[in-house]
Amino acid sequence: MSFLSSYIHYVGCFSLILIGLYVVLVKPNLIKVIIGINLIDTGVNLFLIAVGYIRAGTAPIFSEAALQADKMVDPVPQALVLTAIVIGVSVLALALALAIRVYGHYGTLDLRRIKGLRW
Amino acid sequence: MRRLISLLLLLIVALGLALCLSGAPFGARGADEGAGLAPDKVNFGRRYNERGLEENGAANIVTSVVVNYRGFDTLGEVTVLFIAAVGLAAVLYTRTGKAASAGAEPSSLVLFTGCRFLFPLILLLGAYIFIHGHLTPGGGFQGGAVVASGFLLIYLGCPDRKLSKAAVGAVESLSGLAFVAVALVGLTVGGSFLLNFLPKGTVYGLLSAGIIPLIYVLIGFKVGSELGGIIDNLSGGSE
Amino acid sequence: MVSPVLLIAVPLGLAFAASLVGLASKRLTKFVPVVAMLFNLVVSVSLLPVAFRAPIIVRTAGWAPPFSIHLVAGPLGLLLSCLIAFIGLLVAVYGMGYIREGAQAKYHVLYILILVGATGMVLTGDIFNLFVFFEILCISSYALVAYRGDSAGAEAGIKYLLQGAIGSSLVLIGIGLVYGMFGTLSMADIAANVRSVSTFRLFVSLAFLITGFGVEAAVFPLNAWLPDAHSSAPSSISAILSGIAIKAGVYAIARMVYTIYGAQSTLPCVAVIGVATLLVGEMCAFNQSDIKRLLAYSSIGQMGLIVFGLGMASVIGVSAALFVIFSHALAKALLFLASGYMIYRSGSREISSLDGMGTRMPLTSLCFAIGAFSLIGLPPFVGFASKFMIVRAALATADPFFVVLLAIALVGTVIEGAYFLRIVQGLYFKPTPEEAPEEGTRKEAPLSALVPVGVLAALIVAVGIYPGLVGRALGPAANDLLDRDGYVERVMGD
Repeated sequence: MSFLSSYIHYVGCFSLILIGLYVVLVKPNLIKVIIGINLIDTGVNLFLIAVGYIRAGTAPIFSEAALQADKMVDPVPQALVLTAIVIGVSVLALALALAIRVYGHYGTLDLRRIKGLRW
Repeated sequence: MRRLISLLLLLIVALGLALCLSGAPFGARGADEGAGLAPDKVNFGRRYNERGLEENGAANIVTSVVVNYRGFDTLGEVTVLFIAAVGLAAVLYTRTGKAASAGAEPSSLVLFTGCRFLFPLILLLGAYIFIHGHLTPGGGFQGGAVVASGFLLIYLGCPDRKLSKAAVGAVESLSGLAFVAVALVGLTVGGSFLLNFLPKGTVYGLLSAGIIPLIYVLIGFKVGSELGGIIDNLSGGSE
Repeated sequence: MVSPVLLIAVPLGLAFAASLVGLASKRLTKFVPVVAMLFNLVVSVSLLPVAFRAPIIVRTAGWAPPFSIHLVAGPLGLLLSCLIAFIGLLVAVYGMGYIREGAQAKYHVLYILILVGATGMVLTGDIFNLFVFFEILCISSYALVAYRGDSAGAEAGIKYLLQGAIGSSLVLIGIGLVYGMFGTLSMADIAANVRSVSTFRLFVSLAFLITGFGVEAAVFPLNAWLPDAHSSAPSSISAILSGIAIKAGVYAIARMVYTIYGAQSTLPCVAVIGVATLLVGEMCAFNQSDIKRLLAYSSIGQMGLIVFGLGMASVIGVSAALFVIFSHALAKALLFLASGYMIYRSGSREISSLDGMGTRMPLTSLCFAIGAFSLIGLPPFVGFASKFMIVRAALATADPFFVVLLAIALVGTVIEGAYFLRIVQGLYFKPTPEEAPEEGTRKEAPLSALVPVGVLAALIVAVGIYPGLVGRALGPAANDLLDRDGYVERVMGD
């Protein structure tokens, strides 16, 4: 049981990342691959936040004057994840725009058939 | 065959990660005990928690990290969103503005009126979130996303109302330029880029924490208009 | 003394301003990248003498490192930022005349932002900031590869994006592991504490980081996106991608391996990957019939040579790799710019359609030939000086392993010579094909293309004849990379 309480969060994050990686490597549909990339991004963001957790910690906001600084979780990973989420959204938006263009030219979203650029 | 190779690859990656993290249980212990992954890992974050209030005056320490201590990253992040918006418009550019939304049937009276009623309330909520970024959880990006969801509601519920591309472009460029200008003022006045040069005020006041609320308002406008522009471009766009 | 942070802040502000200008008048936006890069060039060159005495540490937001993001403008960083500004300026001038259709204002905005991303990467001293600027570079290049909106561009763009996005996620996992292990994000702080963590964990995090940056640097198993992307982009963007973007990826790997981790034991492996990349690139280039794809594969080959040079942990080895970065950037930019107008004139990208260009576009073909000879490594050009330095470095290690790798690398160079000489022979000695369209356009490329192409050719010849012009700067730059303790002391002890 101590294994679960100690590691389950990391196992969860990495399962998300590995599932996303599997989708990207195996699925032929372009939209599914883009969703897979989004899964990887989500998993990585969870991992970053998990790294900064302090046991029995609270959010790093001084909402009342009586809160103590040493019971708060690490604020730096939360700032990193803010940036990473925005970057992930930007890549997603651009990927969808390119998918629209590809669909307009090739008429299909199957990556096995989008092979105009040969060897 | 492809599945087999990819499963093998994933297995190797998983094994490497599992072995790497095996000695490091989740959750560093607090200040009184040792730490999880590294001996003095917690010192970095704790220094921001302890000194953040007096150095910046913002009650929300994550905000002061995002805007002040790691403000350079935030500048980069704002740029990335800008690149996505501009790049998306460049990729989807067509010489003649074909209206791809032709054929959408007009919405019923209830939907139309409901959306128009909710829209200013959503904008108000978004503005509240980014104006109070230094006091409560939230901030420029979160508030901007809420504002953009208001725009999305109008796009979905009232098909004939569209954003003016020129206005969106002007707002996003002006806010970005203002952010860089505020940072440069810090350089000329105080000698450091992004220095917090306005007075800190009293904690928990609306006008506290120096330039932090100012920058978050700028980011809120920028993100809201940018995401609105992206939605506009993806739904067929107007020329 | 001007602060190096202006090298990033001013072009960024000008990019936002260019977007505003673009709303008002499309024709004026094409001058903004030229102004931005001119500013960067002037500031970088003026800061070089200061940086060679001692690296300039810039703190943002006024807090001391490692609690703030700091920029470390050392000899290596400023040298690379001079190179980026110089090539960026020339290609911006070229772009003024070359980009005539599409959303032109947006092209110029994205163009400035690619260069801001590259400059930020080489100047920063913080690992997450490196990631953010890396993303700025990558995302602008995804958008610009698909700029023309044709089917090749869209396909190349989406494939580049998918592979690049996975690479970025791997880098982020590596950064997460690093933060978990060390609790800090400043490169110097991590370097100071590296010994306190077990080697296996260091290895896993380094593997993630190298693989992630390696996608952008186009090292051997990860370079599938490069031929498509560099050949489908507009020629000015191909020049920037081949000349600057992949070098930024290699710079990131070098910083990881040398400065942060001090992982000298992985270097023989790095050298082997470099030679493998070189062979794969040159052999694939030999079979091509499309000129831009050939140039793209040749870029992969030269990246292999640079990585091989970085794999020798000596000052002369790293200096040689930096010299090859310099000479390849000049030559490859020249080749892409010249071939851009030759393709436009002849109407197709096949190599056989370039036959006889020597008579139809004499100046452009002469500059193309100079670039090709420099890349092969023929004597009075800068490519010769740089490749000769790699040979000297490999022999100086006195290690039979590196001498064997050097022999394999020289085989790659011979293959490269074969296909480039074939092209130059076609330019000058073969007659024009009959079905060449005689458009009513001008006989020679316009002035906005001739000036950058001519300046690059002149510089290749000048530095080739007198390598000391650049060679003097390479030693301190290499030391910047190799001298870990000095780096840590200068940043932390400030």
